[in-house]
Amino acid sequence: MDILANVSLGLATALTPVNLLYCFLGVFLGTVVGVIPGIGVLTAISLLFPLTFYLEPTTALIMLAGVWYGTGYGGRTASILLNIPGSAANAVTCLDGYPMARQGRAGVALFMTTMASFFGGCVGILVLMLFSPIIASYALSFGSAEYFALMVLGLVAASTISEGSAIKALGMVVLGIIFGTVGMDSQTASARFTFGMLDLLDGLSLIALAMGIFGVAEIIASVRRVDGGEVLDAKVSWASMKPTRDDVKRSWFPVMRGSTIGTLFGTLPGTGPSVASFMAYAIEKRIAGQPERFGKGAIEGVMAPESADNAAEQTSFIPTLSLGIPGSATMALMLGALMIHGIAPGPSLINDQPALFWGLIMSFWIGNVLLVILNVPLIGLWVKLLTIPYHLLYPSVLVFICIGAYSVGYSAFDVWMVVFFGLLGYVMRIFAMPAAPMLLGFVLGPLMEEHFRRAMLYSRGDFATFVERPISAVIVALTFALLVWTVWTGIRRARTRRNTEMDDGLTQS
Amino acid sequence: MFERDYRDMAAGLLMAATGGFVAIYASTQYNLGTFRNMGPGMFPMLAGSVLVFLGGLLAVTAFFRAGPMPKIRISTPIFILASIAAFALLIRNFGMLPAVLAVTLIASLAELKMRPVSLVLLAAGLCLMTWLIFPLGLGLNIPMLRWPF
Repeated sequence: MDILANVSLGLATALTPVNLLYCFLGVFLGTVVGVIPGIGVLTAISLLFPLTFYLEPTTALIMLAGVWYGTGYGGRTASILLNIPGSAANAVTCLDGYPMARQGRAGVALFMTTMASFFGGCVGILVLMLFSPIIASYALSFGSAEYFALMVLGLVAASTISEGSAIKALGMVVLGIIFGTVGMDSQTASARFTFGMLDLLDGLSLIALAMGIFGVAEIIASVRRVDGGEVLDAKVSWASMKPTRDDVKRSWFPVMRGSTIGTLFGTLPGTGPSVASFMAYAIEKRIAGQPERFGKGAIEGVMAPESADNAAEQTSFIPTLSLGIPGSATMALMLGALMIHGIAPGPSLINDQPALFWGLIMSFWIGNVLLVILNVPLIGLWVKLLTIPYHLLYPSVLVFICIGAYSVGYSAFDVWMVVFFGLLGYVMRIFAMPAAPMLLGFVLGPLMEEHFRRAMLYSRGDFATFVERPISAVIVALTFALLVWTVWTGIRRARTRRNTEMDDGLTQS
Repeated sequence: MFERDYRDMAAGLLMAATGGFVAIYASTQYNLGTFRNMGPGMFPMLAGSVLVFLGGLLAVTAFFRAGPMPKIRISTPIFILASIAAFALLIRNFGMLPAVLAVTLIASLAELKMRPVSLVLLAAGLCLMTWLIFPLGLGLNIPMLRWPF
């Protein structure tokens, strides 16, 4: 059996002491940053990113991935106890989780959502194991034209589906691509946009960029706003976690529906856990027999989004690992970690690096089990973490950002780049420009340019190559349809807004 | 609220200006080549042009709608960014201890409130922690203290 051989290879990789240690470190830190509001998963991953230079690529990826799905477990703690989402994907959990805590059922909510997260995670990993190799083997026939078209589709989808203005997100993707061209041109070896600075020849540092636009900008926006609030009913004992028979009976179907929704949305670019958990909640509420129970502590309202969140976190690895096309900023950082070690992302990854691919996937099982262990008996520790005041937290994060950026090349220039990107990130926040698409563009930009130039070389400068090749034509058509749909919904939204404004004007006069 | 979306108009104009600069700089300073055999300037020139288009689109659409007034913090970004800049200035010549102290002190000012006791404790704790993690734990070759003169 092919899959058995792969699974055992993966287990052998994931169970080495070093990989186990970093898997534990990853999920532990993921839980920590998930619990604490004001430090997002991207900040955490960019903080740990410099470490990946000293690790084997497999180990590095296991750790970074652990942070990513670990936050899915930690994030609900603050949602349930504080009514503040620990991370964006857990925002909906506040709606029913906090009322549950106010009814003295915080323990039940925390225990049951851990189980929901675990279930969702397991479904996600199974789908990831089954479908990634299939998609990758299909994509092996792709040429440069297909790749370029696929990257454009991925970036357009990521910008138009996510909330907020599609124009702004697309603009930030292009700005990221432009930042990606800084440095030595890989094909002609001429320096671009270096303005005579030798430090820029190697290109802008991915770490400095991620730390600046996520970590530093997030701190600037959170200082004096986020604070260790009052934790509700901090005593979470074993006895208080025991769900009633009714709770368990009500939870089965929401968890299954949530996992399905999460699995689906995780694979699509631009959607990911936040959209998945929101959709899962909305659907649960719509099909419920008594929708009025929602918002007042309905257990379905926490189970569905939490399972969707974790399923989506796992399946978001499908396009990243099987096609080399990340759907979110976090996945772009994972891809960056691979590229730093000289591993080209793409459909050949699964065949060329079976130990990496299957080891990483098997580490997800181990990580999810570790997370259940970390989250159920140790819940008291995480509740205490919520009481750490932000004014002690953020200077510490800044210190680690500085040392992390410096340690990569022992270069003070990289630290200056953090200042630059921190300022840019804050200015972008003022203008409500999303930062995640910029990181996506930055990581994919150099690959896009390479494939674009190669595709045009093969076609002798004829742009028709992108629509003459059948697969590429389908992808281009999808991209085009997505753009048309975005423009159409944008116009419709503007029109309804104007109409309601006019109605308001009429009723006032 | 503004009557027109001035925030997005400014954002669009900034985007268009950046894209314009990139496109013009790339096409004047670098070789564009042909579509068949592209030079180093072609891809940045195309990307810059797309940014001009998107920025223009944003500015034009913003002109016809009402917009929110952005909240701008002045002192917070100055303190936070200055603390990182202080690290960049101090790390090479003076070592990690002074750099870490500077980051902690300057960043804490962003709170606009002095908490002397907790600040001293935090700074001491961070110095100890970074010493334990980086030179000791990870074996990074960063001197703790250095005197350049």
